[in-house]
Amino acid sequence: MSLTMHLRVAACALVLAGPSSAASPSLAHGGSAQWRGPQGDAPPPRSPSGNAPSVGMPARWNDVVLSGSELVAVSADRSAPLALRIVAARAHGDAFRYDFEYWGLEPGAHDLRTLLQRRDGSSCAELPELRVEIQSVLATHGAALPNAPRPSELPSLGGYDTLLVTGAVVWVAGLVALLVAGRRRRAAELASAPRVRSLAERLQPLVERALRGELAREERAQLELSLVALWRRRLGLEAARPADVLVQLRAHPEAGPLLCKLEEWLHRPDARGAAEIPALLAPYRGLREDELDAPGGVR
Amino acid sequence: MSTTSAPVASSDLARTEEYIRRVRERVGTVVVGQDVVVERLLIALFSGGHLLLQGVPGLAKTLLVSTLSKSIDLGFARVQFTIDLLPSDILGSEVLDQRTNEFRVRKGPVFTNLLLADEINRAAPKVQGALLEAMQERKVTIGTETFRLPAPFLVIATQNPVEQAGTFELPEAQLDRFMLVHRLDYPSADEEREVLRRNASLGIQRQDKGAIVQTEFDVLDSRPVGSVSEIVAAMEAVSSIHVSDTFVDHVVEIVHRTRAHPDVELGCSPRAGISLIKASRARALMHGRSYVIPEDLYALAEDALLHRMRLKYGSIAEGKTGRHVLDEILRSMGGEARA
Repeated sequence: MSLTMHLRVAACALVLAGPSSAASPSLAHGGSAQWRGPQGDAPPPRSPSGNAPSVGMPARWNDVVLSGSELVAVSADRSAPLALRIVAARAHGDAFRYDFEYWGLEPGAHDLRTLLQRRDGSSCAELPELRVEIQSVLATHGAALPNAPRPSELPSLGGYDTLLVTGAVVWVAGLVALLVAGRRRRAAELASAPRVRSLAERLQPLVERALRGELAREERAQLELSLVALWRRRLGLEAARPADVLVQLRAHPEAGPLLCKLEEWLHRPDARGAAEIPALLAPYRGLREDELDAPGGVR
Repeated sequence: MSTTSAPVASSDLARTEEYIRRVRERVGTVVVGQDVVVERLLIALFSGGHLLLQGVPGLAKTLLVSTLSKSIDLGFARVQFTIDLLPSDILGSEVLDQRTNEFRVRKGPVFTNLLLADEINRAAPKVQGALLEAMQERKVTIGTETFRLPAPFLVIATQNPVEQAGTFELPEAQLDRFMLVHRLDYPSADEEREVLRRNASLGIQRQDKGAIVQTEFDVLDSRPVGSVSEIVAAMEAVSSIHVSDTFVDHVVEIVHRTRAHPDVELGCSPRAGISLIKASRARALMHGRSYVIPEDLYALAEDALLHRMRLKYGSIAEGKTGRHVLDEILRSMGGEARA
């Protein structure tokens, strides 16, 4: 496993364990402090390597050998950018070996010397620079920036309202087109449908042909039924049961003789009464529609 | 189709008329106010068709048929149709004769001249089908033997149109086998008064040491007013009744109008026209005519056509009935028409 990987795992462990885990070996910085020889001719201690801790997170710097009398941490006020605690201070020849724990409260480079002083009150001027880096996970200017707007498609022309109005217009236009087409089709059907012939229009040619003796076989049935329909209408028997109508018509003084003679002519095997038919049908010649209901229409 | 069969002789016509008058008179002594039903029964008998009577209970359907059968000297059997009836209960079956150890045929009640099938719609379709097949073919097969039914053979079935729980409605194809379906109405007030008066005059009938209250069935005169030969003569006369081309045109027009009516899903079959003409001929004979006229057609249209029409569901939902539609068709005959 590479060193970088070790550091990442350790950082995660620190974050998960909280401040108490800061007492673990100083893996957070990836290295140990510098030895200084008993004569004090060793190079100044290096800054902790590895990833710099972020703001507010504790970090350890162990085994830092500093010459001179024992050092203690200055109690920092709340506005200080860095807080320092000396975890352990052990004699190391004429020097001392320290384990530091610090919290950066502001990002940037800081010098731990500013937070140290001699226990005996002597000067600390000969101490080497103890530089640590505190990084910030936030943007450098201290405020979170919104996400950059993603490019999107242009909205439809005119917007939703226009779309709604256009849809409504198209729907109404379609409905109107369907209605108009339906009316035209019905009109065409009516125009092409056979015309309704009134009772008078049906009766007249049949009577004329019967008087001339030119009535075809199928027209005889039509003539008989048309005369029944005429008298049913004339006597106001439209609502009567059809089975009763003929009985009543046969008993009528005017309709009865006509229908009985027609029956004899049309239904008897010897077609008796054919000679009397022209005289019986004569009153129905030239009968108009408005005369069908009038009793004076036929005398 | 002007019929060219030998015209009926006026003497035959008069003799048949007299016979019919006697039958009506005899029936009239027992049954009040059912002249039209008697006419329909005789029409069915003379024209070889079968008749279905529809009416609520208590309209003397059974009494009427019993009286008629006694009057015309025909064999009569009555079967009350029930749900557990079997075809063999009507047609007959083979039974084992224990003396000879052989099967012998035991004929059912269908082997008669006049069969009253009471409440035919209460029997299972299998039984209905067996009877209707016998009606159509006029022969019955029991085991391996086929038997011809006696002649004349007439089935008069009854059906209650109101109480439909536990019934099997006859399908159109089977209804079509009935030449006429007559719907009985209640008697008029005067007729009902006469019914009550006659019933009140019935006494008791002594029997052994006891007695029972008499019913109309007990006072039926069992002496016939005519013989089978007179029925045969009437049937011959019916077949000689003249049917004009004009009358056939009328029948064809009515039948076609039932098929073209917008409220009708299933119009009348050609058998409807045949039945209408047959029945019209018998009616003409009963009214003393040797030819049919439109009055016969109008009088019989409902009985011959209505059960052969099926209305559309939409029309039924609108409250229309077959009778309304048929009346509309008959009223429109000869009126306005498309050019």
